[in-house]
Amino acid sequence: MRAPLTNDGRGRETPGLGRLPHAGGIRRTGYRLAVPDLLRVYDRGEHFDEVFDDRGEVRPHYRELVARITRLSPDDLERRERIRDGIFRAQGITFTVYGDDDGIERTFPMDLLPRIIPADEWDVIERGVVQRVTALNRFLEDLYVGEQAAVHDGVVPRWLIQTAEGYARAAFGIPVTHAARCLVSGIDLVRDRDGTYRVLEDNLRNPSGISYVLENRAAMTRVLPVVFASQRVRPVDHYGPMLLRALREVAPPAAGDQPTAVVLTPGVYNAAYFEHAFLARQMGIELVEGRDLVVDEHVVSMRTTRGLERVDVIYRRIDDDFLDPVVFRADSALGVPGLLSAARAGNVTIANAVGNGVADDKAVYAFVPDLIRFYLGEDPILPNVETYLLWEPEQRAAVLERLDQLVVKPVGASGGYGLVIGPRASDAELAEVRAAIGADPRAYIAQEVVALSRHPTLIGDRIEGRHVDLRPFAIAGESVEVVPGGLTRVALRRGSLVVNSSQGGGSKDTWVLDGGGDGTARVGALPYGSRHTEA
Amino acid sequence: MLARLAENLFWAGRYVERAEDTARMVDVTYHTLLESPYGEVEQAWWQLLEVLHLTPVYGDQPADAERIVRFLVLDSANPGSITASVTRARENIRSVRELVSSELWEAINDLHLALGARDLGQELEDQPYALFSTVRRSCMTVYGVASETMPRDDGWRFMALGRLLERAEMTCRLIDVRYGQLEALSGPSRRLITVPGELPRGPDRTDFHHWIAVLKSASAFEAYRRRYRASMDPADVVEFLLLEPDLPRSVLFCLTGAMHQLEALCESRPTRATRLLGRTVASLRYRDVSELFELGLHGFLDDVQNRVARVAEAVADEFFRHHPSGTMHAIAAS
Repeated sequence: MRAPLTNDGRGRETPGLGRLPHAGGIRRTGYRLAVPDLLRVYDRGEHFDEVFDDRGEVRPHYRELVARITRLSPDDLERRERIRDGIFRAQGITFTVYGDDDGIERTFPMDLLPRIIPADEWDVIERGVVQRVTALNRFLEDLYVGEQAAVHDGVVPRWLIQTAEGYARAAFGIPVTHAARCLVSGIDLVRDRDGTYRVLEDNLRNPSGISYVLENRAAMTRVLPVVFASQRVRPVDHYGPMLLRALREVAPPAAGDQPTAVVLTPGVYNAAYFEHAFLARQMGIELVEGRDLVVDEHVVSMRTTRGLERVDVIYRRIDDDFLDPVVFRADSALGVPGLLSAARAGNVTIANAVGNGVADDKAVYAFVPDLIRFYLGEDPILPNVETYLLWEPEQRAAVLERLDQLVVKPVGASGGYGLVIGPRASDAELAEVRAAIGADPRAYIAQEVVALSRHPTLIGDRIEGRHVDLRPFAIAGESVEVVPGGLTRVALRRGSLVVNSSQGGGSKDTWVLDGGGDGTARVGALPYGSRHTEA
Repeated sequence: MLARLAENLFWAGRYVERAEDTARMVDVTYHTLLESPYGEVEQAWWQLLEVLHLTPVYGDQPADAERIVRFLVLDSANPGSITASVTRARENIRSVRELVSSELWEAINDLHLALGARDLGQELEDQPYALFSTVRRSCMTVYGVASETMPRDDGWRFMALGRLLERAEMTCRLIDVRYGQLEALSGPSRRLITVPGELPRGPDRTDFHHWIAVLKSASAFEAYRRRYRASMDPADVVEFLLLEPDLPRSVLFCLTGAMHQLEALCESRPTRATRLLGRTVASLRYRDVSELFELGLHGFLDDVQNRVARVAEAVADEFFRHHPSGTMHAIAAS
């Protein structure tokens, strides 16, 4: 299988989604080409391609998939897309886009072509994520209930910590069992031109997306069961029990051996409500809103029809600012008055912990490799993306010189909001961001543009390369564990480097192959689910 | 279960029932007036507003028939209108989607979307019957789906309790509106059933049709026929709709059913809600219909409605409103 080599990363003029002819309201016109032909005209471009190597050969861990997919006729492919659409619509798997008038709820489109990670690559990712989350937990614990050693020793400047938006003085002295402050983290990884996985950002407050990982997998096994079964893919559906175990492990010591955990949601109008409900269902615990909880004598209870029932652990999906109106925003109707006092008294554990935002501030991010060295005495397994700190005069001057070649990010935002990509920005946008940096250099960072890896993706009636990232999810209780795979997000717009669901992204089921080698197994040749021990 | 979710289910039950019963009442009023030789149409509609306790909401808008019908059917400013009730029922079920079957959500959502997609104003002019019967049937579908898909746990019980209390109240109002309208339409010279203490007998032809309409609006006409044959005595109709233990829309049937649900919810503990409801059930079960006319039917119906309202209050206190003992925190939480 060969994909033509070109030196033009933007590809030829193939029609994108928007320019497809529409026939009688039918979204797509059907595949005119069979899969082998679709792959033959596939333009690998100049980026690192997940499926094809530099010579255009299919990488070993994708060979089985390509062989299976190639057997699907155009009709077959379309039929399976319809099955997929039906599954997602029927389950109401949607997310909400803020500031968008039409159709508030959208489905998060899953591409039929999965992303595959071989076992040896995953091993690096897994160790790297565990290492990073462990160090970040140590750092946060030290910051809020410890000596602040990293600050004293000058690993991170004190003023930088104190000016971080997520730094919460209210979190001082609040204990967290096992120091599992980042109980759930989503570490966003990208691959650069040579395929190295780099950390793009850490999400340590309320990372979302795990429900898509689980739903994508469930859908995939129904849409392409034979293709799926031909590979030995590590399962992900133990996420619910894993999360519940961690929540129980971090319960306050006084809670006894059957602690009660709940999921706290802002309510049905929140963008990620679907996921909150999904997780509560997966764990079989109550999904509560702020008004369901009440704090009395520093003890948190939920209002049930049988009276007040004590709560020991709260997996909250409400931001710090809205969590407790006594401490944070007084106008918050979503939170629970007195919650922090209960946590400080050691009567309830809030997960993720309050104040984690200081560690995923994008300027503090630049210091995480140093924090790993400081707290763990190890070299970072996963490197950062080259990052420039704009309050340093020389770095700022260098950045302003070549602003049109760099990415500028606001330090406090997430979800791709406020991002300026130099090579794509207009002169006016560049002037604007230049002025903003001049006014408040602490509020931004600049990074080298990472030419995110691309993955073949079904677009219209074509297979085209689209940029992808990877968000593995780590759960910390007594120890840190990573769910195999994670959420692969796809920038569906041609050339776009922004994969966030709120910015027109889609997703892919992400397969981590079991065992070594190419991880393939024929259906029938090996019983499904047996251990694969070949080197 | 969480008190908030229990309350959502309780109100979902009430709102679906309210939408259905309002459709039934508007329908019966509309169609009896079509056949009525008397011209006091506006007054009849006004009385419907009165028994539904909606005159304060209606305010001082002109009291013409068309306006009142639109107010009762599609005015979103009227919390008792059919569309508002459906919307609220949907909102309540939406908040408990995790607890109910997806079929139940789809059923209420379908009704909501169907009403949204129709030109209700136009239909009221052309085909009101089709509209009312759609609402009636869709509401029954919602309950049918709930009944066939929900486990008989506390969630189900709260929903059933809400529905039965609401229906008991609405059946009282249904009887009351016909009773009042008969008084008005009959005029002072033909006082059939207007004087308390006088048991009415032998209706003339107009009344005959009116009472058939009442029975039909409670889906009770056929059952009444089988029980009472050809006789059409208002006292029998009132007895049937109020005191018949086996008729699904009779007040006694609803309150007896509500009592079963409440006792299961209270696990047979004596509570204020069970005491209030039990007394109301007893006062109906051992009541002779002739006494009602002696006492004055309107007053009696009012009293039953007030008792039901107090039961609902007691249910809310018992199950939905738990505050910790420390008042400081209760204030902070409110």
